[in-house]
Amino acid sequence: MNEQTPVLSPDDPRLTAYALGELADADFAAVDAAVRNDPALQAVVAEIQALGGELTATLANEPVSVELLATAEVAEGIAHSQGGTARDPASSADGGEFDAPKRGKLLRFPGLYYVFATAAAAGFAIMVVNHSSRNFPAAAKEERHYVQMTSRDERADGGAAAPAATAPAPEVASTAAFSLRGSAESVAKAVPPALLTKAERERVGLASFGLPVNVAADLAAETYRHTPETRFVATMEQPLSTFSVDVDTASYSNVRRFLTDGRLPPADAVRIEELLNYFPYAYAPPPATSPSTSSAAETPPFAAHLEVAASPWAPEHRLVRVALKGREVSAQARGAASLVFLLDVSGSMDAPNKLPLVKESLRMLLGRLRDDDRVAIVTYAGNSGLALPSTPVRRRAEILEALEKLEPAGSTHGSMGIQLAYDIAKTNPAASPGLTRVILCTDGDFNVGATSEGELVRLIEDKARSGVFLTVLGFGMGNYKDGTLEQLADKGNGMYGYVDTRREAEKLLVEQLSGTLVTIAKDVKIQVEFNPAQVARYRLIGYENRRLENPDFANDAVDAGEIGAGHSVTALYEVVPASAADVGEDAGPVPSLKYMKPAERREDPLISRELLTVGVRYKDPTGDVSRKLEFPLVDGGKLFEQASPDFQFAAAVAGFGMVLRDSPFRGSATYATVNAWAARGAASDPSGYRAEFVDLVRRAQQVVR
Amino acid sequence: MTSTSPHEQSGDFVAEAVARHQAALLRYAGRLLGDHDRARDIVQDTFVKLMAQTPASVAGHEAEWLFTVCRHRALDILRKEGRMNHFEEGETERLRAPDPRPGEELEKEETRATLLELIDRLPARQQELIRLKFQNGFSYKEISRITALSVSNVGFLIHTAVTRLRREFAAAPR
Repeated sequence: MNEQTPVLSPDDPRLTAYALGELADADFAAVDAAVRNDPALQAVVAEIQALGGELTATLANEPVSVELLATAEVAEGIAHSQGGTARDPASSADGGEFDAPKRGKLLRFPGLYYVFATAAAAGFAIMVVNHSSRNFPAAAKEERHYVQMTSRDERADGGAAAPAATAPAPEVASTAAFSLRGSAESVAKAVPPALLTKAERERVGLASFGLPVNVAADLAAETYRHTPETRFVATMEQPLSTFSVDVDTASYSNVRRFLTDGRLPPADAVRIEELLNYFPYAYAPPPATSPSTSSAAETPPFAAHLEVAASPWAPEHRLVRVALKGREVSAQARGAASLVFLLDVSGSMDAPNKLPLVKESLRMLLGRLRDDDRVAIVTYAGNSGLALPSTPVRRRAEILEALEKLEPAGSTHGSMGIQLAYDIAKTNPAASPGLTRVILCTDGDFNVGATSEGELVRLIEDKARSGVFLTVLGFGMGNYKDGTLEQLADKGNGMYGYVDTRREAEKLLVEQLSGTLVTIAKDVKIQVEFNPAQVARYRLIGYENRRLENPDFANDAVDAGEIGAGHSVTALYEVVPASAADVGEDAGPVPSLKYMKPAERREDPLISRELLTVGVRYKDPTGDVSRKLEFPLVDGGKLFEQASPDFQFAAAVAGFGMVLRDSPFRGSATYATVNAWAARGAASDPSGYRAEFVDLVRRAQQVVR
Repeated sequence: MTSTSPHEQSGDFVAEAVARHQAALLRYAGRLLGDHDRARDIVQDTFVKLMAQTPASVAGHEAEWLFTVCRHRALDILRKEGRMNHFEEGETERLRAPDPRPGEELEKEETRATLLELIDRLPARQQELIRLKFQNGFSYKEISRITALSVSNVGFLIHTAVTRLRREFAAAPR
């Protein structure tokens, strides 16, 4: 593999533009270089050109269903509109010209495309074109010559091409294809591909086409991105563990949907960190500060709650809980919000648990919004459209009416809707930053438009820089695209939830409303440094797709998760203590280090007693520079039974996730033991979610049997 | 110099434009409106508007100008009648009058019929762009100005349509 080869997806719209001669300058150079290096791309280009030729030829002969106007008729109309000037001698002279009727097949061919059709029909490889094109600077004109013709075979533009039906000579083909593809200068100025960094190529790509397109091949299947489970890591080898916080909860609702239907969820649909974070925990928020006082900036927006006890599924291991609890913000304290609902009203949303549930969710939300909040509704299905311009919530009747009118129809065109929604959001910003938000409600089935996950994500990432936040709510089942939605929310500075019931809508939109609306910190990253004197190995449970490279922790350019008001984040580490006999099948190969003694200890006795230090980096919702907090943890040697109810419950949830994933690290965890571990935590259950969990574990047990 | 009177000049220039563009405009308007009579009306209106222009003001982008005006007129009518959603998928199908042409090889005929069918199954907007591109030969930039979509929007819509056509055309029984 040549490392200088620019990478270009066959689904990049630029490739189509390139094949159709629509690229110039930097874009042209980048794509041209990529195509030259990749025979597969050359084949795609040839295919596109062949189709283009076929389209040109076909459409040129498409029956004209509207009968042509007699030219005299047009003249008459013009004369009439001019109020009698037709009697003017000059005009009637023109009229005489009109009298020569040009009825029949009066087709206008752009000469260039005619030529193009012939070139494409011959199916020339782009390589040939590239080489010969350098010799034809004279042909490099972007100008088109429109040729009026009365029949297909009469040509008037200097014989630059042969009729479409016959194969052209190679020289003709290359000239033609070249003239389609930009100016001679653009070839001469072409930046060698090696000089473009990957980032530059991406930027160039974004500048001209945000969105390559990949029409989803499989419309019927749910898809989940495969994530291999995090393994144990030796502290000596890698004392740092870094990840982005994740307050998404969609996986839990999705797992619940499967189990309620009497099926086990696919392993990749089970994301343990989302299961953990679905449940409210009794973490104390940081001391409240009034936003008006200047000390607000100094007070961290969240409190840390660390705890360590024996791991229930492997008692010789320690289980460490790292939790953050966000500051709470009341509806009165927050500013007026500007929300743009981006609703998927495509045909696939036509199910009771989709569009009707979306409508019901929004009606519930509307009941909780402030009168001075603003709401807009953008729909997408085939043609994207604005169903409701940004309207203050005090005009509820109008909003409800617009909501009622929505009907499912057509195919999904996610990317266009996203563009429009962000445009509306940007033109109707909330008074205070962070309260402008696009709320996407969909089953994620982007079957028309930009569906290539990577490209859609890039668009969202780009839009997120405009200061508009994104909430993604997944609905329904069947063709539910889980990975796509999670990624969108991630990159869009936002949150992702899965709504399967009215109750879930209430939880996400009503109970957690302020949290969903008010982001109190963004790009929140956690980096845990383990003390090799205390910890031989460790393993982060879940967060597989949230892991960051260690240097990313301090790199403010690296995007990470957001924490909303009142939200909490919980992560669990399973730790093999240095004192424990380091055997067992999960141990993995012990690194043999040449330059560092394995038992090297820190001299300071105080520090060496620490198990680990949790570092947290975050930015203010509108800030660009991160702040850092540190929280050390000393292991007090608690047994599992001595841990707090919240700790026990979280361990049970993680155990459940591992059993569902059939994790190699599940140890003694089974549905029965999970139920036992959850018992104490489930006893304190003000919201009722934990009782539901216990019920779900029982269901899972029944499915298995 | 008797030919320098403005009327005469513009008359000449409009006559040429009519001869050159009316077929394409009628086809375009017919697609947008689904109604031949109205299509004729708005195309006529479009040329009337062209009369008010000096040749210099539209020189070089005459076709683009005509299509833009024609599209605005068509959308005005659709909006007035509240039939914006009239122009929906499959709707254009019935506009395609059967028009058998003699003298073509049967094979080519079938290929084209297949392709036309596939085009007609595209969403309305993609159909419009595909026709502007391949039937009328406009560049992405010109299409962007005619349809008020961004150039990158035009780019990816055409890409979407072409990708789909490519796949379906390859799969179509021929």
